[in-house]
Amino acid sequence: MADIAADDFAILPVGRINARPLAIDYNEAIVRKSVIACVFWGLVAFTVGVYLALELTFPVLNFGLEFLNFGRLRPVHTSAAIFAFGGSALIGSAFHVVQRTCRTRLFGDTALADFVFWGYQFFIVMAALSYVMGFSKSREYAEPEWHIDLWLTIVWVAFAVIFIGTLLKRTEPHIYVANWFYVAFILTIAILHIGNNLGVPVSFFGAKSYSLFSGPQDALIQWWYGHNAVGFFLTAGFLGMMYYFIPKAANRPVYSYRLSVVHFWSLIFIYVWAGPHHLHYTALPDWTQTLGMAFSIMLWMPSWGGMINGLMTLSGAWDKLRTDPGLRFSVTAVAFYGMSTFEGPVMSVREVNALSHYTDWTIGHVHSGALGWVAFIVFGMLYYLVPVIWHRSKIYSVRLISWHYWIATLGIVLYITSMWVAGIMQGLMWRSYDAHGFLQYSFVETVQALHPLFLIRTLGGVCFLFGAILMAYNFWMTVHDKSTEPTGA
Amino acid sequence: MNIHPGEFVIGAMMAAFAVLGLVMAANALDLEIEIFGLSLLAFSVLFIVGQIRRHFDGEEAKARVGAQTGTAYHG
Repeated sequence: MADIAADDFAILPVGRINARPLAIDYNEAIVRKSVIACVFWGLVAFTVGVYLALELTFPVLNFGLEFLNFGRLRPVHTSAAIFAFGGSALIGSAFHVVQRTCRTRLFGDTALADFVFWGYQFFIVMAALSYVMGFSKSREYAEPEWHIDLWLTIVWVAFAVIFIGTLLKRTEPHIYVANWFYVAFILTIAILHIGNNLGVPVSFFGAKSYSLFSGPQDALIQWWYGHNAVGFFLTAGFLGMMYYFIPKAANRPVYSYRLSVVHFWSLIFIYVWAGPHHLHYTALPDWTQTLGMAFSIMLWMPSWGGMINGLMTLSGAWDKLRTDPGLRFSVTAVAFYGMSTFEGPVMSVREVNALSHYTDWTIGHVHSGALGWVAFIVFGMLYYLVPVIWHRSKIYSVRLISWHYWIATLGIVLYITSMWVAGIMQGLMWRSYDAHGFLQYSFVETVQALHPLFLIRTLGGVCFLFGAILMAYNFWMTVHDKSTEPTGA
Repeated sequence: MNIHPGEFVIGAMMAAFAVLGLVMAANALDLEIEIFGLSLLAFSVLFIVGQIRRHFDGEEAKARVGAQTGTAYHG
């Protein structure tokens, strides 16, 4: 479908605007497929999350079935949220952004892009099926066994080939900063995925494999991967999204292009060292733990630099927040990015970690990032992108976006506040001693104390899921309703 | 026939994956590999069928529209 990308000038830095409108035959079909997959997997991830929250509140809900127990469904939820919902959003938006900012069709034409899209969906389905059947490498956020890992490696290399190939055949002299973040996300995830999953299968025809590493080295590799999956999958990729879609939605240039470049290099340099903060008070050498903690504190600077750049892009256009609830999602996401990247380094300090680790505070922290930052920046992107790539004049209902925004925000607030209280209470109960030096509370007493907070968390999840259902309905109507047909079409 | 070289490469790759899936399923030591192998076979075959369908859809669209405007059709 031919399209004109003249409106993409708004994102270019001042002085680099090169008005040269061209009719370019962008591959929009692949972006549309990714958007559909993103919305579908979002609904799946949030539904499984709500079910798990209910299961933790009322354990009877696993019905004694092994494929419904928390241990098997938990990776289904995390993989659906991170890799299926987030990954589909990242792949779709990366393909959209790189084409528009490079003014060229995707490298490798339709077949390669289709292979990446369908191959990635195949990975997701195989991984989920594997988890419920009880197969797992027991590595957090990298649970699939070796054969699924190998498949993902092939798909990811193809993704990298398309993205970098498109950059190389660009017709714009400048590589817009969003693409830098997408490249960092693609290349680093490739390195992390391969490094963390190095292992030896027992047989080519059997699913079981053993890690190449053992003991503390294995733990360190796992959290080098785990933390940088947060850093490069859930941060760098979505920052690429932020740097393209906020300026587009606000119709303003990025506040400081120089700050975005400083943000990029400082973030990618510092993030890779912070992983050991996940292993405080373990067999990992003390200096390594301290190194991870120190680099985590240093992460405040690039994180907040990026947040300020995202928020200040609204300078002179703050009034749009009243009329454009899609943009409100994006801006709130950046605020949550700032909050969760402030909280993370605080939790990485050894003394704070002594209280927070293994408690629900960590769950609350992860969800303030996952729901507040990742999901909200995706929602903002989707509300901008859906009318554009389906060539509709407008979104079906702005009022429904507003409802979605407030219901989802309420859901996040319920979720993270209940988990803060739960986590701090849990930590304090675990470390309470009586006058004789015995533990004051048994473990089951702490679980009983958490029950009402788990209920509030479930309510938060239900709100978030309900908001996503409103969004899906809004998109369906945007694509199919007569009221959104382009005028003059 | 106007076929992008990438289509041939991807098609051949998918055919190889289909055979690999079949071999894995046939020799599987556990249910996981059996299901993965059969799924890989089905996925690869469906992908190739999709490629063929898209090619002929494109040819038809070109015959209808492209011949008049002179623009290439990419789906």
